[in-house]
Amino acid sequence: MFLGIDIGSSSSKAVLLDKGGAILGREVVNLGTGSGAIDDVIDVLLEKAGVDRGDILYSVVTGYGRIGYEKADTQITEIGCHAKGVYHDFPEARSIIDIGGQDAKVIRLGDGGRVDNFVMNEKCAAGTGRFFEVMARVLNCSLDDLSGLAAEAEYAVAISSTCTVFAESEVISQLSAGASPASVAWGAHKSVAKRIAGLSGRLGLIPEIVMTGGVALNQSMVRAMEEEIETSILVPESPQTVGALGAAVYAKEKYESASRDQSLQ
Amino acid sequence: MSQAIELIRELSDAGASPKATIAKSMKETGKEAFGCFPIYVPEEIIYAAGYLPVGLWGGHPDIKRVDRYIQSFCCSIMRSNMEMGIRGDYDFLAGLVIPTYCDSMKAILANWWVAVPNAKPIPFSVIQNRASKGSLDFVLAQLATFRKAVGELRGEPVSDQAIEDAFALYEDYRAAMRAFTKAAARVPATITPTLRHLIIKAAYYIDKKVYTEKIKALNEALAAMPEERTEGPKVIVTGLLAEPESFLDLFTENGYAFMGDDLAQESRQFRTEARKEGTALERMAYRVLDQRGDTFYYEDDKSRGTMLKNMVKETGSDAVVVCMYKFCDPEEFDYPVYKKELDEAGIPILYLEIEQKMDSVESLRTRIQSFAEMLSLS
Repeated sequence: MFLGIDIGSSSSKAVLLDKGGAILGREVVNLGTGSGAIDDVIDVLLEKAGVDRGDILYSVVTGYGRIGYEKADTQITEIGCHAKGVYHDFPEARSIIDIGGQDAKVIRLGDGGRVDNFVMNEKCAAGTGRFFEVMARVLNCSLDDLSGLAAEAEYAVAISSTCTVFAESEVISQLSAGASPASVAWGAHKSVAKRIAGLSGRLGLIPEIVMTGGVALNQSMVRAMEEEIETSILVPESPQTVGALGAAVYAKEKYESASRDQSLQ
Repeated sequence: MSQAIELIRELSDAGASPKATIAKSMKETGKEAFGCFPIYVPEEIIYAAGYLPVGLWGGHPDIKRVDRYIQSFCCSIMRSNMEMGIRGDYDFLAGLVIPTYCDSMKAILANWWVAVPNAKPIPFSVIQNRASKGSLDFVLAQLATFRKAVGELRGEPVSDQAIEDAFALYEDYRAAMRAFTKAAARVPATITPTLRHLIIKAAYYIDKKVYTEKIKALNEALAAMPEERTEGPKVIVTGLLAEPESFLDLFTENGYAFMGDDLAQESRQFRTEARKEGTALERMAYRVLDQRGDTFYYEDDKSRGTMLKNMVKETGSDAVVVCMYKFCDPEEFDYPVYKKELDEAGIPILYLEIEQKMDSVESLRTRIQSFAEMLSLS
């Protein structure tokens, strides 16, 4: 068995692969680095799959919490892992848009899921999951309900501030002026999509385009992004666990490569 | 090997502790210190006047007072320098020179007289047009003005012979530094990116004669060592500067080898050798006119991209790392031009936005590690 672990800024994920590369299970908990939640995630994953820790041949950790996690065999960055995870499910993909809790990345893929190039957002919460958390609070709804609220909108309120803090003030002003919560929610999605499209423009998007990360669960965000880049986007069955899946794939490759080397000696 | 380790430790410690190193240098030489703002100033004239020229390349002060004088979108070196000036950190300096390489520096030069009334900076006007008939005369006139001002501060004129001697010493120093960057690229596991930077930076705080002897000894010691390889990419680094150390440590952790640099704080200071003919002042002036591929000296033909491509080729490097110093307009203006050239040549670029004071480098860690992973798998 091979274990992939992704400790993000706001959630912890794990994926288990069997020797043939089939997915045995995946788990997510919305507690990120520093919370220690990853050990519980792994326990639940192994229990559901009926696997003992001793059966794990190799494990790889990725995500912002990777450096502080010492129980994995090795660590690589989430950029490489998202590439491997996407390639596992969508071998035809050439671009990835990954919007996580506190950062956004655009990755361009070459043959075999190789990373050709990548860009990341600068030190700013605008264009990340954090922006939606702030918007949900202002609109007095849960994060899960934000997408549905935006879907009800007949138009988008323009949110011009590029800074999350300023955007919060701007949204409060819009609501006070009579804008509907739905139009503000849709405006927030369009605002994030514009920022990510700008980031993508530095790299150039090539279809097929796959969206990963927790924000890809938000259907309104996927729609806003598709409208902005004027291209359809593929969304994996479990976009949050793509990084962990990639880590598990890497664990399998690493183990098999080491086994080959040993048998040659 | 033990001599190399001892010199590496001594020089990197000196580069990591500017205040203590300057105090030690002042005590050992008996000289008064003279502050030099970035990017380039005629240090040879300051040295010839009997001062100890010291570089003022920012720091990490808590910013409390500077917003009264300059905007938040000025770069953090200028904001740090101004903050430290206002709070009295530079009161020990006998003199100070502020050149006019960017708009922030011009604003600081004007504000310094009000904000730090005890210190009267000597301005140094930077040439804008280096290709006209009058360019040489302009630089010579600026050098003469500066020489006169330094002489007045010192209380006696700076002699021709003293300038000749100082210039010869600085040329010797610059040649030794060019040799050091080559020697460092041969042994990247010993001279890590962090140590390389600190060793070069130490030159800003130690008397040039003393420093040059030490760097020459280090070059000899490094030449005696076997060639080394690191696991990560071989890169050329470009930009204003590559700091802080916690940022450079990320390259060290990921096995990067710095094969050469185009950093204003490092190789741009010494990469141009002076012409052989003329007086020291003429040779100083020609060094300004002859410097190529430099953001801070305008060029019609923008040769920086070609220069970077050649550096990659000559050193067998894999990529170029761009250290984009936040709010450094001259560097930002140059980037699209040389990026296009590097893209066309198929040379990978890692673009990193940095500041001198960064509380967290985690996002940069992901980029630097990802880039190494990307190149290792390509």
